[in-house]
Amino acid sequence: MGSHKVVIIGAGHNGLVAAFYLARAGFKPLVLEARPVVGGAATTEEFHPEFRASVLDGVSGPIAPAIAKDMQLERHGAQWLDPKCRVFAPSPDGRALILHSSTYRTLSRIAAFSRNDSSKYLELANILAGAQKFISGLLTMPPPEIDRPTSADIWNLLGAGRAFRKLGKRNMQRLLRWGPMAVADFVAEFFETELLRAVIAARGIFGAAAGPWSAGTTALLLLRVAAGGLPDGGPIYVRGGMGALSGAMAAAAKQAGAEIRTSAEVARILIKDGAVTGVALKSGEEISATAVVSAADPKRTFLKLIEPVHLAPSFLGQMQHYRCQGTVARILFALDGLPAFTALKNERDENAALTGRIHIGPEIDYLERAFDDSKYGNFSRAPFLEATIPSLLDPSLAPNGKHVMSVHMQYAPYKINACHPARPEERREPARASGERCEGPAVSSAASPSNWPSQRDALADAVIKTLAEYAPDFPSKIIAARVITPLDLEETYGLTGGHISHGELALDQLFTMRPLIGWARYSTPIRGLFLCGPGTHPGAGLTAASALNASRQIIKSLRK
Amino acid sequence: MPKSYDAIIIGGGHNGLVNAAYLARAGKKVLVLERRYVLGGAAVTEEIIPGFKFSVCSYVVSLLRPEIIRDLDLPRHGLEILPLDGTFTPMPNGDHLWRVNDHAKTRRELVRHSRRDAEAYDEFGKQMLQMCRFVKPLLGMVPPDPTSLNPAGLKKLMFLAKRFQSLAAEDKYNLVQLMTMSAADFLDQWFETDVLKATMSASGIIGTFLGVRSPGTAYVLLHHYMGEIDGAFRAWGFSRGGTGAISNAIADAAREAGAEIRTEAPVAQITMRAGRATGVVLQSGEEIQAKIVSSSVDPNLTFLKMMDPRALPDEFVEEVRRYKYRGSSGKVNLALDALPDFKCLPGPGRHLRGAISISPSVEYMERAYDQAKYGEFSHHPYIDIVIPSLTDPSVAPPGKHVMSCFVQYAPYKLKNGDWPARRENFGDAVINTIAEFAPNLKNIIIGRQVLTPYDIEEQIGLTEGNIFQGELSLEQLFFLRPVAGWARYRTPVDNLYMCGSATHPGGGIMGAPGRLAAVEILKDMGAR
Repeated sequence: MGSHKVVIIGAGHNGLVAAFYLARAGFKPLVLEARPVVGGAATTEEFHPEFRASVLDGVSGPIAPAIAKDMQLERHGAQWLDPKCRVFAPSPDGRALILHSSTYRTLSRIAAFSRNDSSKYLELANILAGAQKFISGLLTMPPPEIDRPTSADIWNLLGAGRAFRKLGKRNMQRLLRWGPMAVADFVAEFFETELLRAVIAARGIFGAAAGPWSAGTTALLLLRVAAGGLPDGGPIYVRGGMGALSGAMAAAAKQAGAEIRTSAEVARILIKDGAVTGVALKSGEEISATAVVSAADPKRTFLKLIEPVHLAPSFLGQMQHYRCQGTVARILFALDGLPAFTALKNERDENAALTGRIHIGPEIDYLERAFDDSKYGNFSRAPFLEATIPSLLDPSLAPNGKHVMSVHMQYAPYKINACHPARPEERREPARASGERCEGPAVSSAASPSNWPSQRDALADAVIKTLAEYAPDFPSKIIAARVITPLDLEETYGLTGGHISHGELALDQLFTMRPLIGWARYSTPIRGLFLCGPGTHPGAGLTAASALNASRQIIKSLRK
Repeated sequence: MPKSYDAIIIGGGHNGLVNAAYLARAGKKVLVLERRYVLGGAAVTEEIIPGFKFSVCSYVVSLLRPEIIRDLDLPRHGLEILPLDGTFTPMPNGDHLWRVNDHAKTRRELVRHSRRDAEAYDEFGKQMLQMCRFVKPLLGMVPPDPTSLNPAGLKKLMFLAKRFQSLAAEDKYNLVQLMTMSAADFLDQWFETDVLKATMSASGIIGTFLGVRSPGTAYVLLHHYMGEIDGAFRAWGFSRGGTGAISNAIADAAREAGAEIRTEAPVAQITMRAGRATGVVLQSGEEIQAKIVSSSVDPNLTFLKMMDPRALPDEFVEEVRRYKYRGSSGKVNLALDALPDFKCLPGPGRHLRGAISISPSVEYMERAYDQAKYGEFSHHPYIDIVIPSLTDPSVAPPGKHVMSCFVQYAPYKLKNGDWPARRENFGDAVINTIAEFAPNLKNIIIGRQVLTPYDIEEQIGLTEGNIFQGELSLEQLFFLRPVAGWARYRTPVDNLYMCGSATHPGGGIMGAPGRLAAVEILKDMGAR
């Protein structure tokens, strides 16, 4: 046993993590990466001379602790930097809600808005801490086989069941009720301060094509909580940016015995009699393998890399319906200095506040309206933003005294309209039933990713304008900006539909349904072909938890 | 010495009456107390304008459980369902979509819009039938509590799990999607014709404060399909004499079985002794005792208005306060001098005998929702129109007509102004919207009745005007309806039960809650 030739497609976090565990298990995986660098979308790039930042970054993390430990990432050069704050949320009226790394200080900050909320925050934190064991239990187990539960499944479920019962009847019922709930309702059950509601609710819509009033968004909040254990996750910083983390992962994988080839784009997965035989590179080179593990998203894997003839029509149909259209744009700013946020003018240590996630989205309605725009194929005129300034903790990312700001922007729908409609309420007369909408043609026909090049600057303007409302001198600090639209995420980083999570995070595409019900256990209808990317359970964010689960399953079946 | 009964039922709506009928048939001495002068609750016929009988709130029937119709022998008590043939959707571009029960006709119509959709339509019908086969038993089942280790409950859960396993892969896939997706996303997978998707998705939002693109609406779509898919008899239809006739038929059956029914007898308070319900006190001060009290009104009225919340466990009260109503719909009932004339299909044709749906596009539906989300009624709402007088002349004077318009969205709380002040603006918005498709409408209106969520609360007694006694959202269904741990018609108070739409399986003229509650009540009474 052991010396199977295993090919892994894609050297993003999940690909590298899978490579490490497979190598450690005695297989000699070969990782094939299309781009010249490893890391997928988690790379540090010099987007402007001497200014470096990650395309996907710490607001999407964190890496599952088990992985960091197993791979000894710190020994391989990953150095985590601790922000003093988790979140800084300015409000239009010039107040600041700051959630410190220390819960005690956080509580006093919240109390400044509402004593009641402060105690509720603690209550929620405790409930979630209790729930975390149960939820992370679910996240680290392979989704059970529905038709023929294996004995392992039964054990996992019993384990989850026990953890569930430990919560006590009241919290059990709460979790059952919360899951399908709209996160806007969820936060309203705890808090009265609108800004705090919005900050917490934002975790439920992050990266999703959903607004705070969309049902099921509480489940997403709980998913993220499981990673951090707190109602609000802080950003994750690695010295040298996310690319450095990817580098450490690659080093760990190599040391464990994996081989990594960059600039080696896989064009096809070769299949014979329903089983993989290898892959063909774009260069024409063919590499034979007994197992192929794809860290690419499910749609790319099944609809682009495989000849349709190898898959059942019903499977193909379902895969075509797998929802995978991103709503996120990223903007990297090179700044001449730190922007002065109005809300921080009386703050003793404003730099400390800026080390956290800078949350722009003061109200639930604000977030919902931002989502509304995207439903009709427009990017949000007043977007929801999560910004970080990694150069505060890691000066190596920018020249002396200068800074980089990396912004996660929602909503930027993959299919975008060519024109800039005003919102209904901004129009003189309300939209007419007779279809005379200022939008012109309906979304379905007009909206297309091909419109993005023409929308790129308008999007940047909207983001700058929004930030300027909270930091008036922000525009004057901008040296350069790089906008990464969903189209760029697709074309440059190979994310189908520009979806950073390899597929919509919605109730019908989670757990035993991710990516498809019946195929949630990392294996596929093709013998020897496996999935290990975030398009599989648990999938949320830049945690590489999918690859951790996947490699366990893959090792098992390869040893059979 | 106050009178005494085996059971007092609060509320003479269809569920209260069904509950009473079943208890009476089991030989119990039953008293139904209705606040209003007329029975039926939201299933009521009233002559608001002389000569015109409006089905004031609920206006079509379909979900009424067959076992209830059978057990209570309702046809003998005067229940007569008249078929409602098809759905007609006028379009702004002068075209229309008209689906009827005649399969071949509908197919030809669909082909006109899209051959592909015409093909998919049959397959879709088959699939939904499958799904309903699976879900139907749940409607007739007392929900198990997954958080308790009670063996009977676990057995039920296993039963459900086994049933799910036994489904074909394709069905599993569909069911999971129906339980979690949005109606629009679900239909997007099947059809390409916008107006078809919009009209079908409409049944996914009725009675909820959700948009056609909100996850969870696919289930409500299924909920409304239950009726449509069975044999012709239970396809959507009118009841002769208006929906009130259904309530009257059930009341008749209850009386025949020995139940006593009093109208204009509003309950002020549920009396308790030593943590047990002992009866009620009417607003008149009259006191009536009973072994059990069964409330068909919603939890807000039952536990927070008719009881002293301090007599209940805090956690329970907290959950009851948290239970979401969020009325989202209004009703405009019109007395017409003649029939409306639709630009896209002029003249009085069969298309007026079915449902007329103002749902020109999915975007139109979603925008109607957006406006309501921020506290304004939709200026261009989704409207479901029926003209019962075409099928049942008894509800209007000769040559004249009754037009019933169900309207969404109308939020219970308005951001600007209050409902009494803006009621007529709302009515105007509805009529203007319809007039864009049927310009003659404004000239043929003899009289109109506008019901906002506020009015539905005031007149019918439904909290926040929610027609289902609480939103049909995923977190308020099955074992979570109305309150987790209390989804089995019992309450923290001994001898006090719930039997209204706020309990599983929820709203619509279905009667299932009333029946299931009766079953549970009789179990407990027998046990004593």
